[in-house]
Amino acid sequence: MTAHTETSTGIDTRKLGMWAFLSSEALFFGALITNYLLFKGRDLQGIHPRELLNIPFTSVSSFVLLMSSLTMVLAHAALTRDNQRAARGWLLATAALGATFVGGQVYEFSNFYKEGMTLSTNPASSSFFVLTGFHGAHVTIGVLLLLSLVGLSFRRGGLTFEHGLNLELVGLYWHFVDIVWIVIFTVVYLIR
Amino acid sequence: MDSAKPAHPSPRQYVTIAGILVVLTALEVSLFYLNIGGINTPALIVLMLLKFTLVVAFYMHLRYESGFLRRLFAAGLAVASVLYFIVLATFYSRG
Amino acid sequence: MTPIATGGVLRRRIPATGFWSWVTTVDHKRIAKLYGYTGFIFFIVGGLEALLIRLQLARPENAFITPAEYNSLFTMHGTTMIFLVVMPLAAAFMNYLLPLMLGARDVAFPRLNALGYWFFLGGGIVLYSSYILATAGAPAGGFLPETISRLGSAANGGWFMYPPNSGAQFSPGSVIDFWLVGIALAGVGSLVSSVNLLTTIFNLRAPGMSLMKMPVFAWMSMVVNFLLLFSIPIITVAIFMLIFDRQFGTAFFEASGGGDPVLYQHLFWLFGHPEVYILILPAMGIVSEVLPVFSRKPLFGYAAVVFAGIAIGFLGFGVWAHHMFASGIGPITQAAFGLSTMTIAIPTGVKVFNWIATMWGGKLRFTAPMLFAIGFVAMFTIGGLSGVTHSIVPADWQQTDTYYVVAHFHYVLFGGSMFGIFAGLYYWFPKLTGRMYRERLAKYHFWLMFIGFNMTFGPMHYLGLMGMARRTYTYPAGIGLEFWNMISTIGAFLIASSVLLFMANWINSRRRGAPAPIDPWDARTLEWSIPSPPPEYNFGEVPTVRSLDDFWHQKYDEDDLGRVTRRPDADAHIAELTEKHLHPEHRPHLPSPSAFPPLAGLSALGFAFGLLYHATPVGLGLIALGVVGLFASFLSWAREPLEENA
Repeated sequence: MTAHTETSTGIDTRKLGMWAFLSSEALFFGALITNYLLFKGRDLQGIHPRELLNIPFTSVSSFVLLMSSLTMVLAHAALTRDNQRAARGWLLATAALGATFVGGQVYEFSNFYKEGMTLSTNPASSSFFVLTGFHGAHVTIGVLLLLSLVGLSFRRGGLTFEHGLNLELVGLYWHFVDIVWIVIFTVVYLIR
Repeated sequence: MDSAKPAHPSPRQYVTIAGILVVLTALEVSLFYLNIGGINTPALIVLMLLKFTLVVAFYMHLRYESGFLRRLFAAGLAVASVLYFIVLATFYSRG
Repeated sequence: MTPIATGGVLRRRIPATGFWSWVTTVDHKRIAKLYGYTGFIFFIVGGLEALLIRLQLARPENAFITPAEYNSLFTMHGTTMIFLVVMPLAAAFMNYLLPLMLGARDVAFPRLNALGYWFFLGGGIVLYSSYILATAGAPAGGFLPETISRLGSAANGGWFMYPPNSGAQFSPGSVIDFWLVGIALAGVGSLVSSVNLLTTIFNLRAPGMSLMKMPVFAWMSMVVNFLLLFSIPIITVAIFMLIFDRQFGTAFFEASGGGDPVLYQHLFWLFGHPEVYILILPAMGIVSEVLPVFSRKPLFGYAAVVFAGIAIGFLGFGVWAHHMFASGIGPITQAAFGLSTMTIAIPTGVKVFNWIATMWGGKLRFTAPMLFAIGFVAMFTIGGLSGVTHSIVPADWQQTDTYYVVAHFHYVLFGGSMFGIFAGLYYWFPKLTGRMYRERLAKYHFWLMFIGFNMTFGPMHYLGLMGMARRTYTYPAGIGLEFWNMISTIGAFLIASSVLLFMANWINSRRRGAPAPIDPWDARTLEWSIPSPPPEYNFGEVPTVRSLDDFWHQKYDEDDLGRVTRRPDADAHIAELTEKHLHPEHRPHLPSPSAFPPLAGLSALGFAFGLLYHATPVGLGLIALGVVGLFASFLSWAREPLEENA
């Protein structure tokens, strides 16, 4: 059941479980993206997302999230070399970048609200907020996972092999959240 | 780890990939502003898929993992793509 | 022998038996029993709801049940039977059997497994609390009265909860929200469980057991869990969107706001159709195990049955809009989905032919499990035939929303899934309890249920084609519907009586049945090679598997002509196995019980009720507590080692 016993596929059991979960998330986010694609032109009334989307601002937050994936793999690389302090540092950097991204989303959304585009303005705005909102919630959970790993790293012995596996699993989740954003950024923000 | 110890990119390679991702993103944003007509959307999609693949293959390590994991993840993507494409198609073919 | 301490922050010793041992269990066999008993209790409740429906429909223009109450009853009956009965009973079988059939000591993620159960129970509690807590608020000036009784205050929008009927305007109370939150919670439980069972099937097989040497039940379980993995996220999105429409003023499904109710139908049935295969495939797996044993022949065409099951799962994702033929989806879509629906009949037919061929020429023993398995094949075929008639779009336009459809899905879900489940309950009873059930009583159960079932649902084909509408609290007198409705109601009470026979048999035989040998049926698969009931660690020594039906080949030799002779050392071998499993050389390590799955479940339950009461301070408090509780439970869970010495 742990990495110590032989598994029928040769793949670590927890890694297999995480990939199965991530596979199911494709269906979750796919539904939300489909929803957006269906409704993006439906703005009979009220302001619609295309008028308000701030491409420069969102490009910067996309960059931030991409860099957080880099810091995540560097954290993992550091741990495989048993450099506990570097691993912890990179984990904190990832969490900070993720929190920055979420902060940017919150700022962007509050601006939209001020301009009169809310969750319930029209289906286009609703599907925009639901899609990006659920993504933001996933990022937030990811930040909590990262901070939990940092917390665990302060125990006697630091992040052990077992925890190293946890770090890799959190990393997979984190990168997944990043690739969902890669799709959202293009489909929602960049494609006219 | 388990039976076969997979290869890992080095930290330097990770940074290189990050650099490519930044360049691709810059290209995407440029396409948004240039808005060169009908080719814009397919080009953006291609760039998006490139970024997606880089992160999945190298950062998520799928290139070095067992084919079983690749197929597992691909299955979710495939099912989602096909199903949601059909749903959208039914809305656009109403009649 | 049990490690008797929970771990981590809440470390304390607990006895190996008793209430707390069940609450903190991570043993797949106990979790299976939790699923099984809970599911069966809901079966009784759902059955009572059905009896009330049938009493109302026994006579035309009856006033036994009000229209509002009737809406709740059929909604809750359907929701209960699907989400709270057949799914958990299937989960019970998969949880109990998969490690035993695969030669494993437990599932891949024992604590996650427990969590799946607690989320299911939480979802059921939220759903049923609607009878007590929810307000049904009828829209002003509508057909329904302003005040509605408790019986009419459960979820009442049909088990599929279509907007705009289930939207804020036409269902202004809270009953719909109870359904949405409850089903969402139960759904997460199923998703979590599917990750666990898929990983178990792929990773925890005994040495030598390649996928094509797995029992068919394990294959069907694999397909079911893939279906769950991919379909639960879709209904979760649909539920969130409907909640947003109801609570936050969005208009995803409101045409007046620019939305589209048909989108909900797509999202719901993208889940809902795979869901019906989730409901039937476990029973097909059970029947594929039972028929060979009581025909004394191997399953005919193992590979074909396996691939047909995979094909059904795969194609099952491509037919969902056949539930929407009357929703204005347009002729191209209708034609495409009509065709795809017809193709599903092919792998289904392959399975039916293979089951029949398994029995053909075999030495049949008509025990209760065999009767139910044969009943399954016959009743499911009838249900499948009426299903295929739905695939013809113009015919479906006549059939949809009539009792013809009710007949169809009860033939496949009751005559199919439930008969398969009863076959399995009797078949594995000796393994589970170490005792034999009473065979004669079980046969009475079968025949009474078989007759009652056909009396109840057979006439519905006719009633539907004569125009009797679904989900309607009464029907007019004088148009020829009276007689068969009365027959149907009588049949329902026969079913209920037969269930009582089953319960009496189960309860009595658990303690007082004749002691069962470890292999009472002379069966084929690995779970019959360990003691009854199995020791907590299942296998004293993990077996090495050399072939499909490995246990059978340990007992029997086959010559070139397929003639089977029992090995002279078979009995001695079985005795040796029993000894090895009961008294292993090294005591196998087992996962410790854990308090965190039930705590996480409780937190989720609190969070769910908080959502339902979010407009009150208590509700907000519950939301906060729930979030903190979930976070704390998961963090403690991560820090708690899986195995800890007592």
